[in-house]
Amino acid sequence: MTDYDVIVIGAGNGGVTAGALLAKQGRKVLVLEQSGRIGGCCSTFEKDGYRFDVGASIVEVIRPIEIAFEKLGTTFQKEVDLITCDPVMTIIDRDGSRITYPSSIDATAEAISAISAADGKRWYEFVALMAEFTEVALDAFFVQPAETLADMARMFKKDPRFFKFLPLFLKSYQDLIEKYFKDERILKTMGYQSLYFGHPPAHIPGIFALIPYTEHLGVYYPRGGMIKIPEAIRRCGEKLGMEVRLNTLVARIMVKKRRVEGVVLADGTEITAKIVVSNINARTLYLDLIGEEHLPALARAGIKSYRYSKAVPMIYVGLDYTPPLDSHHSLIAITPEGVNNYWWHNVEKGRLPQQNFGLICWPTHADASLAPQGRHVLNLIPEGFYHLEGTDWDTEKPRFIERTLADLDRFAVPGIRDHVTVVECSTPLDFERRLRLPEGSIYALQQDLSAAAVFRPNARSRGIKGLYLTGSSTHPGGGVPTTIASGIIASSLIAQYEQ
Amino acid sequence: MSHAKIKLIAIGLAAAFIGLSQLSESRKRFLKELLRQTPYLIPRYFV
Repeated sequence: MTDYDVIVIGAGNGGVTAGALLAKQGRKVLVLEQSGRIGGCCSTFEKDGYRFDVGASIVEVIRPIEIAFEKLGTTFQKEVDLITCDPVMTIIDRDGSRITYPSSIDATAEAISAISAADGKRWYEFVALMAEFTEVALDAFFVQPAETLADMARMFKKDPRFFKFLPLFLKSYQDLIEKYFKDERILKTMGYQSLYFGHPPAHIPGIFALIPYTEHLGVYYPRGGMIKIPEAIRRCGEKLGMEVRLNTLVARIMVKKRRVEGVVLADGTEITAKIVVSNINARTLYLDLIGEEHLPALARAGIKSYRYSKAVPMIYVGLDYTPPLDSHHSLIAITPEGVNNYWWHNVEKGRLPQQNFGLICWPTHADASLAPQGRHVLNLIPEGFYHLEGTDWDTEKPRFIERTLADLDRFAVPGIRDHVTVVECSTPLDFERRLRLPEGSIYALQQDLSAAAVFRPNARSRGIKGLYLTGSSTHPGGGVPTTIASGIIASSLIAQYEQ
Repeated sequence: MSHAKIKLIAIGLAAAFIGLSQLSESRKRFLKELLRQTPYLIPRYFV
C-alpha cells in the first residue's frame, strides 16, 4: 500500500493538467511544488498594486487547452474569462515606423499590401499552406503520444497529407519565409517568431514558420493574468480530490530495480507512490533526482546530449501613464538575418547587444484590472541569454534595465522612463533560482528537429518504470498549449499502461 | 574495384558537389546544423 497512487513533481501547466486528469481517472494524486505559486512560467505575481505575468504573455492555438478542460467535464471558456487580443501585433522599426497586423487574414493582407503588393498577394499563399498544416498537425501531432518511430509512421498513415509537408522539414524557417516575402519591412515582421521555439530562423525547419499564421487564429489573454489558466485546472483537479502542496521541494526519486517507489523531500520525508509524473527539466530529473547509475547506457548518453533551451530576461514595469502603443504585443523589428547574427555574435559569444530587440507586452491594454486605476503594466522581453562573457547577471541587471528603458524611450515607447513607478526584473539567473529552470531555460531543452517528437525525452520513461514526463522537456515541447497537451498525453499513457 | 564502379562513384561525387554548390547559403547553414545533431539521434531515442 502506497501513500498516493501518483506523485506529480512540479505544478506548472503540464503537472497540474496531468494531476487533474489522473484524479478524474479516480487516482489519489499529490502535486508537489517547490515555489509558493503554481504555473511555473505561466504565472502572475503582484507588486505595489500591479499584477505582472512571470513569463508567458498570451495564449494561442487553444485547442489542446479546450481538450484538457473537456476531459475534466467543463470548458476552457467557462473556467477562464478569455479576452481576445486584436490587433495581434504591432511591429516597431528603429526609424519609428510601425506596422500593425489585425487578427483578420484579409485585413493583414491589406496591411502587407500597403507596403508591398506582391508580398500581400503571397500572404494568402503562405496562409493556405500553413492553414492546412496546422489542421493536420493539431489533430495528429499535438495531443498524441510520440513514443516510437511506429507512432510517427501511424501518424503519417492516419493523415497522408503529412507527406506533402515533408520538404518543409528540410528547408529552414528563413528559407520558407523568404520564399513568400521579399520586402525587408515585411520580413522584419516574420523572422523573430522563430525564437518562440528558442532558435534563430537559420537553424529550425520551415514548418515552424506556422507561428506568423497561427497568431491569426486568435490570440487571447486570461482576465486576471496568465495564472488564471493553471489556477482553473488546479480548481478542477481539487474538486476531483487532487492535493497540491506548495513550498515543497523534492530532493530525490526513490528507484528500485528501475521502478519508481516514491519521492524523498528536501526535509527527508519519504512519500510513496507507484507512479511519479515529472513536470521539471528532464536533465534535472534524470541526472539529479534519479541519478545516472539507474539509467541504461544509451539513455545516459542521450540525456546528457541535450543542450538547455534559450533563456530570456524579463523586465516588469508599472507606469503612471498610458504607453503610446497600439497592441497587446509590440515587437522591435529585426530581419531574419539580424536574428541569426544576434545568435552567432551575441548569444554564442556571451555579449549582450547594445541595441536590443524583443517583445513589449501590454496586458492592461486587454485587462485594466491588472493595475491601479489609470495606470498600466508593461512586461518587456528583450532578448538575452544565461552565459555572459566577463560578467554575470547580478552585476549586469541594473545596467540592463536602464539600457533597455532608455532604448525603448528613444523610438518605441516615448516617455517611458519618466513614468516608471515600479520596476522589477527576472534575469535568466533569477529564473534559475526562483523557478529552478537550469540556466534559465524557459523551454527546458533545445527545440530543433533533433530534439523533437521521438527524439525528445519520452513521456513514458524508457529506462524507469512508473515514471512519466510532462512539461517543456517532453513532446510536444515548450509553450502554454503544448505543455497542457503534454499533461493530456501523460495521463492517457498512464491510463493505458498503469492499471 | 572495377572501372565502371569507379566511374559511378566519381559521377555521384560530382553530382553531390554540384548539388551542394547550388544550395543557398541559408539552406547550407540549416543542413550543417541538422548534420551536427545527427550523432545524438540514437541515444536520444532511448531517453
